[in-house]
Amino acid sequence: MSHPLELSSVSKQYVSRKHRVDAVREVSFAVAAGEIFGFLGPNGAGKSTTIKIIMNLIRADRGTATIFGTPSTKAETRRHVGFLPENPALYDYMTGAEYLRFVGNVHGMPKQRIRQRSDELLMLLDLLPAAKRAIRSYSKGMLQKLGLAQAIIHDPPVLILDEPMSGLDPLSRVLVKELIVNEKKNGKTVFFSTHIISDVERVCDRVGIIRNGILKAVKEVAPLLREGIEAYRVRFAEHESSAEQEIMVSPDDLTTQMVAITSTGGTIRLLEPVRKNLEDFFLHIIRED
Amino acid sequence: MKNILRITILGIMRDRVFHGITVAALVFGLVPVISQLSMRQVTELALTLSLSLTSFLLLLLSVFLGGVSLWKDIDRRYAYSILGLPLRRSDYVLGKYLGIVSFILLTATVLGIVGALFSYSAIGVYPPNRPVLWENYVYAIFFDVLKYALLVSFAFLFSTISTSFFLPMFGAVCIFFVGSSSQEAYNYVNSPEAAALHPAAKSAITALYYVLPNFGAFDFKTNAIYSIPMDYQGLMLTFVYFCCYVSIVLGLAVILFNRRQL
Repeated sequence: MSHPLELSSVSKQYVSRKHRVDAVREVSFAVAAGEIFGFLGPNGAGKSTTIKIIMNLIRADRGTATIFGTPSTKAETRRHVGFLPENPALYDYMTGAEYLRFVGNVHGMPKQRIRQRSDELLMLLDLLPAAKRAIRSYSKGMLQKLGLAQAIIHDPPVLILDEPMSGLDPLSRVLVKELIVNEKKNGKTVFFSTHIISDVERVCDRVGIIRNGILKAVKEVAPLLREGIEAYRVRFAEHESSAEQEIMVSPDDLTTQMVAITSTGGTIRLLEPVRKNLEDFFLHIIRED
Repeated sequence: MKNILRITILGIMRDRVFHGITVAALVFGLVPVISQLSMRQVTELALTLSLSLTSFLLLLLSVFLGGVSLWKDIDRRYAYSILGLPLRRSDYVLGKYLGIVSFILLTATVLGIVGALFSYSAIGVYPPNRPVLWENYVYAIFFDVLKYALLVSFAFLFSTISTSFFLPMFGAVCIFFVGSSSQEAYNYVNSPEAAALHPAAKSAITALYYVLPNFGAFDFKTNAIYSIPMDYQGLMLTFVYFCCYVSIVLGLAVILFNRRQL
């Protein structure tokens, strides 16, 4: 069975009079159904170019991008996709409600369903009070949330989000993360690009790290975090009345140390794993170059 | 395509350019007054003013809307969001084009009625020797709309290859001037006055005449102003010419836009 999203050896070179830039080189990966895939990389790594190729905004020089097995150059594939561009630009003379109605109409949704979904999403994303205001009066965060609403109004099986948390305040970031996780719970596939590592740690099943147009690694996030325990921070007191001490213990020595402390009447006050996080992994990959 | 057409019209209605042109249309109020200045040709002058003013406002609309509409979508990245929807690029281009042309047709209808009312009031005071053929007046405006629809298609063609608004905007203006004088240039090179002209220059001008649009073919104002009966075969030929020409230009625009990297 074909994957919701698959890229095979996709390459793209930007050519100007003076320079040739390999924006994306031989990028291949597949995103499984119901998976949240984070596409991580520093600025200029090729994340947006890859997404533009998937959305047929630009053409790959080589390779193919497919949505459920159909080349993404076909307009009908976008019926299955909800797309949020980076810093979305939406027709600013329309109101938020009008824009959602327009997108619903393009997707061929029945009028009643459009109204119901619009109200639902505007409420969820806290945009209801601004629904009848022109988009030109929206703040950056509101625009981002409206962009997200228009991406999911038709309840697509695949979501492609370019920097979905960009420009959002902390509360809205949490809201959007919850929304992404909920989409996964509903069986949706989410592919999103970001350069914020904690976003990937919190919500992603897998992460692809891109640098200079080359996909350096594709890893599952959970094992990466689990296997990354380098040591344990142990805080203990030798006696009830004595001062707390802190030591770092390697995973191999943990049992021995615990036994040593407790056998002499000491009390363990804190036991905390010190893990190599995704940031370290990311930096390791990036610094390999 | 229908959805793009609809929001294009909505966008124009809410645009400042449209508001400016609406204000400019108030000049129609001067038609009866100015017409009175010509004691013997009130009817002709009233109709000339109405048709010319309508045509001028349609020209402004065509150049501004045609030149800016597609370019602005690309420049301000509205196209990213729109083309992320299940829409073919051809539907997007044609939807926008038809939106603008529908708006031009609507404006022409409104301006035509307003112009006719003001002209009628001027004519009422000084009845003409020959009855006004209002049917010709309608034809003159309708073919003016076709002329500007053709001009908008050129603005779209330029927008598909341009990264700034200069080419679509000024390209459309140039096409308008060249297209408006191509018939005269052709008539000149084929007249005895052009006998001294180098044959190569004659051939070049003739070739350009066939390649560039001939806006003179769409001008039926004289028939409307002087109540000259219409040549219906000529009207039909002009209509067919419009259909063929606009199909070619829009076809090219769609091909180029399909290849465009956004």
